[in-house]
Amino acid sequence: MKKLLSLLIMVSLITVMVAGCGKTPERVEPETTETTETTETPEAPATAEAGFAADSVIGVALPWLGTQNWAEADEMFKSKLEAAGFQAIVQHADNKVPTQQQQIESMVQNGAKVIVVGPVDGSQLGGVLEEAAAAGIFIIGYDRLIENTTAIDGVVQFDSIKTGVLQGEALLTGLAAQKGEGPYNIELFGGGPADPNAPNFFKGAMTVLQPKIDDGTIVVVSGQTDFTQAATLDWDNSKAQARMDSLLSGFYSDKEIHGVLCPNDGIARAVITASGQAGQETPVTSGLDAENETVTWIWEGRQYSTIAKPTDTLVSKTIEIIKALQAGNGLPAPDETTDNGMKEVGIYALPPLVVTKENIKEAFANDPGRLELLK
Amino acid sequence: MEHPIILQMQGITKIFPGVRALDDVTLEVHRGTILSICGENGAGKSTLMKVLSGVYPHGTYEGKIIYMGEEVTFKDIKESEHAGIAIIHQELAMVPELSVTENIFLGNEIIKRGLIDWDAQRVHTVEVLKKVGLTVDPDTLIKHLGVGQQQLVEIAKALSKNVKLLILDEPTSALNEADSANLLELMRGLKDLDITCIMISHKLNEIAAISDAVTVIRDGRTVETYAVEAGQVDEDRIIRAMVGRSIENRFPVHVSKPGEVIFEVTDWRVEDPNNPGRLVCKNSNFNVRAGEIVGFAGLMGAGRTELMRSIFGHNYGIYLGGSIKIKGKEIHVNSVASAIRQGIAYVPEDRKNLGLNLLNSIRITTVSANLKGILRGGLLDLDKEYEVAEEYRRSLRVKTQSVDRGVATLSGGNQQKVVLGKWMFTGPDVLILDEPTRGIDVGAKYEIYRLIHELADHGKAVIIVSSELPELIGITDRIYTIFEGEITGMIDSKEAQQENLMKMMTSNSGS
Amino acid sequence: MIYIKKIFGDKLQDYTMVLALVALAIIFNIISGGKMITSSNFQNLISGNAYVMVLAIGMMMVIVIGQIDLSVGSVAGFSGMVMAIAVRDLGLTWWVGVLLSLAVGATIGAWQGFWLAKLGIPGFITTLGGMMIFRGGVIWISRSISVPAPRELKIFGAGHLPEWGPAFTGMNNSTLLLGIIAITAFAFTQLRKHNRSKKTKELWPVLVRIALVSVVIGYLTWIFGTGRPGTSFPVPGLILVVLVLIYHTITTRTTFGRHIYAVGGNKSAAALSGVNVQKTYFLTMLNMSFLAALAGIMFVGRSNAAGPSDGIGWELDAIASVFIGGAAVSGGVGTIIATMVGGLVMTVLNSGLMLMGVGADRTQVIKGLVLLAAVGIDVFNKKEGRQSIIGRLFPAKSK
Repeated sequence: MKKLLSLLIMVSLITVMVAGCGKTPERVEPETTETTETTETPEAPATAEAGFAADSVIGVALPWLGTQNWAEADEMFKSKLEAAGFQAIVQHADNKVPTQQQQIESMVQNGAKVIVVGPVDGSQLGGVLEEAAAAGIFIIGYDRLIENTTAIDGVVQFDSIKTGVLQGEALLTGLAAQKGEGPYNIELFGGGPADPNAPNFFKGAMTVLQPKIDDGTIVVVSGQTDFTQAATLDWDNSKAQARMDSLLSGFYSDKEIHGVLCPNDGIARAVITASGQAGQETPVTSGLDAENETVTWIWEGRQYSTIAKPTDTLVSKTIEIIKALQAGNGLPAPDETTDNGMKEVGIYALPPLVVTKENIKEAFANDPGRLELLK
Repeated sequence: MEHPIILQMQGITKIFPGVRALDDVTLEVHRGTILSICGENGAGKSTLMKVLSGVYPHGTYEGKIIYMGEEVTFKDIKESEHAGIAIIHQELAMVPELSVTENIFLGNEIIKRGLIDWDAQRVHTVEVLKKVGLTVDPDTLIKHLGVGQQQLVEIAKALSKNVKLLILDEPTSALNEADSANLLELMRGLKDLDITCIMISHKLNEIAAISDAVTVIRDGRTVETYAVEAGQVDEDRIIRAMVGRSIENRFPVHVSKPGEVIFEVTDWRVEDPNNPGRLVCKNSNFNVRAGEIVGFAGLMGAGRTELMRSIFGHNYGIYLGGSIKIKGKEIHVNSVASAIRQGIAYVPEDRKNLGLNLLNSIRITTVSANLKGILRGGLLDLDKEYEVAEEYRRSLRVKTQSVDRGVATLSGGNQQKVVLGKWMFTGPDVLILDEPTRGIDVGAKYEIYRLIHELADHGKAVIIVSSELPELIGITDRIYTIFEGEITGMIDSKEAQQENLMKMMTSNSGS
Repeated sequence: MIYIKKIFGDKLQDYTMVLALVALAIIFNIISGGKMITSSNFQNLISGNAYVMVLAIGMMMVIVIGQIDLSVGSVAGFSGMVMAIAVRDLGLTWWVGVLLSLAVGATIGAWQGFWLAKLGIPGFITTLGGMMIFRGGVIWISRSISVPAPRELKIFGAGHLPEWGPAFTGMNNSTLLLGIIAITAFAFTQLRKHNRSKKTKELWPVLVRIALVSVVIGYLTWIFGTGRPGTSFPVPGLILVVLVLIYHTITTRTTFGRHIYAVGGNKSAAALSGVNVQKTYFLTMLNMSFLAALAGIMFVGRSNAAGPSDGIGWELDAIASVFIGGAAVSGGVGTIIATMVGGLVMTVLNSGLMLMGVGADRTQVIKGLVLLAAVGIDVFNKKEGRQSIIGRLFPAKSK
């Protein structure tokens, strides 16, 4: 009996402790019944012009916190939405589709007026989002396109094709600057195939690189130029590093590698590390996200370039749209539209920024955290 | 007696929730002697030994234990071991994948500079093995030893810890005759090493052979304790004390009325699955009449069980040839299911591991070999199941509150009755019972014998495999003997004696 | 106490988990300010977890035979992907795709059953291999890109029962009908059981039982039936209920069901009672993968697309449900109903924590602790001579 009691007490204590940590400001206080009630009796679906209360619940469903940009988004959405007077529910799904589906459902349950979705897999949320839309909720895609459903009102993202183009250009510039005359030996890496942006990055980069491959300026020694060959499942750095290891031992035993197209910073670091271990000189790489570690590496000359997609810009733009909806002004006009398989979705495209050692200080002039790293 | 007293247990009472397992038990052992403790299953023998060895720590029981002149209060088994008390359990506690040396020193390794000193351990092992008369390489893995040898290693392990009081719980239950005799001899030898033994046993002949004193326990109480002279023990007196009544005849009187031959096995040949080329059954021929009880005698490993399990749907070994006729019609049994369908039932010797699913209730067990018997419209009829189970509970006199109780809650005798019921429900013509009374106490044995007789009276052909020759002689009509896979003879039970059976069981000269 | 026992039967500890489930739901409802016990949340609970519960049904049987199936997540993902690709690339009608997918599941099950039953490779290893093979397979055939699923499938993953008939009932009439059928069926079976066992049993506990269950079902019907117009008891929930009825009957009332428990409880004894152990192994594994394919289809329906990472980690949720439901690791013990209760405990916990805004990380920690606690309490309860928790709440003075 004693044992059982102590077991029970221990478990419930830990449970309360662990759950208690969740009582940070993003938790919805029970007093918000007023908003709940209004959602339980929704009137006509989404009269955009009507707007909604200034202290409404806003849900943000992020895929995971495994990379710096998502961790930053998590923080910024919490603080900025609170600052704007909204009640924020920001959750991440540990990169699991079912978890994200349930989180979105619980946001609907909590009476959210707008749900911002950074999808784990952009094509697998249709069912739940359609339910949410039917309950009169606005749905905004964040950073990744949401496909295969009509239940999407707009997507805020950095232009992914443009990002790819910039990555390709940065790679070519770097090769010319650091590796002398061509032809250059390079390899190509793609991002996680489940992320609809990843093929776009690759496509964009190839618009720049393909002509150079065709005229012989650059050579993809392994011959792996197809996205499915180059893709890195789940954006997993360790998988990229393993692939680089085998490429180097398979194709570069008697050759030098000059450059690698890398779709993000984590993969770039994996590639650079693998090259170092194989006794190669550091290849010129592209990157994305401007993670802290990469900022240092660029400053120290170990990585050539990255592309900053300042999370700050992305989050601010998203909140701007939410405020417009709240005020009853409807959705702002999108910059462009794209077909998601079911409808034309408005895209709010933001310009990405190439960062190399030359411009790094000015690029982060407004970012004290990263400036700190450049000492 | 000139031997001083080494152990006294006084007024031991141990209460489990709702049960008084031990009630004022008193026990006395003289140094350098062998005390036998007898009693039916559940009488409290094992509980008493657990109290003594500290499995039930001091404070959870009432009474006093005085050991070597001092009162002791063991808190766990480590403490009692330290004091020189060791128990050897019925189920051996050896690690099969470790060597003899490793097992002997398990948990008690000789350490030199933080590492195990293998040389010292090996030397020591050879010494203690010599004491128990075992000549095996100390590096042999336990799994390569026979059960008898393993038992000796277990005793050697106790000796290596300087044991003064050795407790053996049913030490010969898994041993064959030769190994048993060997073990008893060893126990006698231990007396010269000034080691005291307490033996818990069912087997009256063994008790008679080696005891210096006997204590009988019944229902948690000491019934009587008296000194005996080895070889001069009155077995009937012990039985009377154990069961609390006099069993005039250990076997019920029965007049059998054999009819036609209904079961006939010809030229049955089976190969050992682990040892290609070796036959475990060599051209076996035998038959059984309706209403007849036929015994099979043979030493352990002679191939009795193997023969029966092979007949029961090729459940053992590789079938090479032979035919079976039931009621004159040849049948083919290539699976257990088909054997059951065609009227054969087999009650295995190892009830807990082969005969029962201990998770099941009596009710589910009863119908488990004949689910077809309770099917209605493709589904199991649970009401019918209940009726069937109730019927067998009543007719077999199973002692239980309800058929929904788990079979694990039953005593060995009642479990065996449930198993018998399970096979009777399959409506067999031939019932093969392998060691039907193993691990069952005297009173329950008598009831099982009566059930066997009833089966025969209903016209079934009953085959009994048993290691206990008196049992075979007492309840069967005819006895076949097996030696090394061969049927060496057949004898009418009226003419059978232990001596002539033994002779047929140990040679293939035939008779 | 004695009255309670008459109503619920002697084994009160069987209800420990049901009690825990109700307690969890109520506690979360209070903490979240009434968001737990609502129509839409209950609908979400069912449609968002039905596929895991379907897996748990099969897993319960696998665990009862003393094996484990680690491959169910991969098999679900693979079967779902086969369907999506077949419909997209081969132009099959959606239901042909579904049948194909189920056939693929059954074939995979036969393959795993073959390794386990015929070659004697332990299920853990067989299915660890399967887990890798079919995970690789799904990535391979999809080229790691999600494939959109036919829209018709949505009904299986996220659909609701249709609306019809008079509106005066104030709720979805399909759901209402379902509730009425459930109550009638329960009352009918209880009364029939009572009539057949003429043995001196009183009638009143049966009536009280029927009344109690009717209230519970009625309440649930009301909750599910009064959601947003157009919603009702979810179709995946209906699929689950049908499966539960079928598999409950299989495990309790058929020879195959008995054989599963016999093999899991004592393989040798089962073989000597005429049970074909290999066949039982084979069929159980086959059934598991078949159900995995069904679960995969339900998930694809809910997601509108089959993805390369569908099914990752599902086997663990299914296994957890089975063990919370009181199954034994060593096999031989477990029931469908208890497994469903175990699954619902996990589900309610999950949902409640999400409603509180607890993140996926901490949710995992809590789920892990609950699994340990549940199984710990269960083991503790089953030690001989112990009273159940409920038993302790109502000390038996008269007996």
